Amino acid sequence: MAFKKVKSSDRHINQLARIVGGSSSILYRKEDLLAYDCDGFTIHKALPKAVVFPKNTIEVSEVVRYCHEHNLPFLARGAGTGLSGGAIPLNEEVIISMVRMKRLLSVDLENRRAVVEPGFVNLKLTNSISDRGYYYAPDPSSQYCCTIGGNVAENAGGAHCLKYGVTTNHILGLEVVMPNGEVIEIGKNGIPDEPGYDLLGLITGSEGTLGIVTKITVRILKNPEAKQTVLAYFNHVSDGSQAVSDIVSAGIVPAALEMMDKVAIEGVEAAAYPVGHPKDIEAVLLIEVDGISAGIDEQIRQILDVCRNRNVKEVKVARDEAERGRWWANRKTGFGAMGAISPDYLVQDGVIPRSKLPEVLSRINQISNESGLRIANIFHAGDGNLHPLVLFDARKPGETQKALEAGSACLKVCADVGGTITGEHGVGIEKKEEMRFVFSDEEIKAQTDIREVFNPKNLLNAGKLFPAPGRCAEVKKEIKAAASS
Amino acid sequence: MGINELDLKQDPACSEKGLSNYLWRDHPDENKWADCVHCGMCLESCPTYEQTGQEQHSPRGRVHLIKSVAEGKLEVNEFFSDPVFACLDCRACTTACPANVDVGGLIEEARGQIRQAMPLKGWQGAVSKFVLKGIFPHPNRLNAAGSLLKFYQKSGMQKAVRQTGLIKIMPDHLVQMEAVMPEVQEPVRKKYKNEQVLKAKGKSKAEVALLTGCVMDVMFSDINEATINVLRRNGNDVIIPQNQTCCGALHVHAGDRETGRMLAKQNIEAFRDADKVIVNAAGCGCMLKEYSELFREEPEMHDKAVEFSKKVEDISKYLHETGYEKPKGEIKTRITYHDACHLAHGQNVRQEPRDILQDIPGVEMVHMPNSDRCCGSAGIYNITNPEMADAVLESKMQNVPGDVEMISMGNPGCMLQMAMGVQKYGRNQKIVHTVQLLDWAYQKEDGKERV
Repeated sequence: MAFKKVKSSDRHINQLARIVGGSSSILYRKEDLLAYDCDGFTIHKALPKAVVFPKNTIEVSEVVRYCHEHNLPFLARGAGTGLSGGAIPLNEEVIISMVRMKRLLSVDLENRRAVVEPGFVNLKLTNSISDRGYYYAPDPSSQYCCTIGGNVAENAGGAHCLKYGVTTNHILGLEVVMPNGEVIEIGKNGIPDEPGYDLLGLITGSEGTLGIVTKITVRILKNPEAKQTVLAYFNHVSDGSQAVSDIVSAGIVPAALEMMDKVAIEGVEAAAYPVGHPKDIEAVLLIEVDGISAGIDEQIRQILDVCRNRNVKEVKVARDEAERGRWWANRKTGFGAMGAISPDYLVQDGVIPRSKLPEVLSRINQISNESGLRIANIFHAGDGNLHPLVLFDARKPGETQKALEAGSACLKVCADVGGTITGEHGVGIEKKEEMRFVFSDEEIKAQTDIREVFNPKNLLNAGKLFPAPGRCAEVKKEIKAAASS
Repeated sequence: MGINELDLKQDPACSEKGLSNYLWRDHPDENKWADCVHCGMCLESCPTYEQTGQEQHSPRGRVHLIKSVAEGKLEVNEFFSDPVFACLDCRACTTACPANVDVGGLIEEARGQIRQAMPLKGWQGAVSKFVLKGIFPHPNRLNAAGSLLKFYQKSGMQKAVRQTGLIKIMPDHLVQMEAVMPEVQEPVRKKYKNEQVLKAKGKSKAEVALLTGCVMDVMFSDINEATINVLRRNGNDVIIPQNQTCCGALHVHAGDRETGRMLAKQNIEAFRDADKVIVNAAGCGCMLKEYSELFREEPEMHDKAVEFSKKVEDISKYLHETGYEKPKGEIKTRITYHDACHLAHGQNVRQEPRDILQDIPGVEMVHMPNSDRCCGSAGIYNITNPEMADAVLESKMQNVPGDVEMISMGNPGCMLQMAMGVQKYGRNQKIVHTVQLLDWAYQKEDGKERV
């Protein structure tokens, strides 16, 4: 596209436009910014100052340097599918959209790694290498559209993380633009476990508060030789969750072990990818095993036995790839499917010890009754990552607040039974306060101290991940007061 | 700021202001956007988002804007109009959406509001009025335009225009289109004017009515002819109601819902006695099936439209469901299939045309990656938004396998656009309609050579 100069009354806009290449690479009119007032977390909305679309690392670095020098708040955004509000501009940020940096830079099958730009869509990586027998393992449900850059920011998980680990286990190297515009490389040669501090681990999952990732070296895996998928229906949640525990205790490590409850089933069956789950059951399990062919049948036999011992109502093995695909599409579109039975939803992301599932579900049920809001549960049962989906209608006065409170109460339950408040969606705006369920003020302070090393001006994605320091300061005062008395 | 004090001062996710900035009747349907939870699963399906990376040019962004107007956050002005009219209305997002949000319906409703709030002025207004209102709804005028085109092609004028350089003063995209215009033949509606029923060959098992379409019958009457042949060969009596008219899809896409309603009423009446309405143009078929959307505020017409929609079927689906004779004539060719948006996403017809093609002896099907990605034709989008249409076409052509001889599809708009793509990118595929190929195979079986 031809370079077209921007003439705004705001000199910052003109300068930013100059850096990224003119009017086709910047949005700054209010009407154009509206589509950027939230991400997948829609409860909180705020307009950015501008959205810029850099094409390469140099442009990202120059934009960041400009913002740093002129004290303009800024943040990075990928596909905006995040569920905790990490890409929402709370402070009238300049949004740096990474979606035009979407190339697959190289594939190195011999060393099982690939280099991508941050705007490259997760599933496209697998699609680009599957004909050669390889794939990229982390598979968040939004993998059809979410970017790998966003996955790094949130340390995204997915259904198959039970066996293969979350994003951080698949990152070999990063190029990062620091909050002052400096460009650094971590894990340069894509060699895992470099000596020194694990900076890759620190950046991965930092929710866009420590730097902006501009190039990512990921691990790719060989397709498993064989794969089998089982669907099991249970009349009681307790039987379903016992079956989950039994499968793991039997020494089987499934690739995925998913559960949905009755309300979730109602949602997915009313939506675009129904597969005919019965309406009268309390729980469905989706179990997948993969690996070398030898032994797969034996594992399936064991899984079927476990299910039968736990009073399974019906259990079946996917007949072919097409059926398997339908089962997974039904599960992976589960969140969006809630739109079919509710105008709005709020998804939570608690982690609990597997054994506590029946107890937690019954307490969530209680929360649902008390709040008068329906709650669906979609659960990465194998690794204890629970997603209660609070269904509400924002048009009804007070209901949004009620939903937030119900969501928070669900997380409290998770924390109380020895779990935590997020497994894979990040803290963002949504769960800032709930950080207090699992961290003391001192522990939070220790973490914001780390942020200060990287992001001393706190211009980059401020107001996310940690609760406001108000109480920390108070605590300090109290400590001082106690010490001086 | 704690979660309990979350800034609800800002407008909540959905306000109670009602449909504040939509001032005309037939406004966008609140229930349609209530299904959208902003999950973003639609993003990658959208050709305009692929090109721009900008969310106001994505399905969920557009839905968000349409909702924002109702919430009073945005006015119906050019900044709203741009993203809404830049949509190809390809419906790929409807397929991708987990909650079945009817983005296409919302877009069309929003366009209706925009065109009433800000009618097209100047030459755009004049052209739109002349073409959409002055020509399409009137078969005789359309035939006359067809005759003119025929005169242009046959009289030597086409040659003259091309040779004299007169063509250089035409805009690029019109030049490209001019180059691939099919040769105009006699419309079937005119040809069979005096035939009440075109009897089935052999024993008749059903009677069907054919929508001849407006552009289809003028520019592609050979495809209508092929459709009639194929229907008759498979035991169908075919009637061509003479008082039928243009389906109105182009009008509804352009925001002229009033003319759309007028045409819909005429067609519902024209096909009143038919049990089945067979359509060979995906865009028209989709429109016919969605007539009820135009009458949300007229309950009686709405019911009629719902009943009418049940009778409408795409030719490939109809043949597939009622059975067809497998041709014995061999057509030795390598072919790939392009899913017209309004067949695949609009009517969920995907496998049927492929099965038909595969039943033709000698046909070797080659898979086209992303076959259900829009080609950029999108009704008259390639005329109104030529730059974007070109970019979308380029991306489409990259997916067309290099070693095929034909590209088959079920929509005339796509056929013209793909023909332009073939020409522009130096390819050499022949563009065919699915039923055309089936008809040729039958003809070959009967000893009549062609191709």
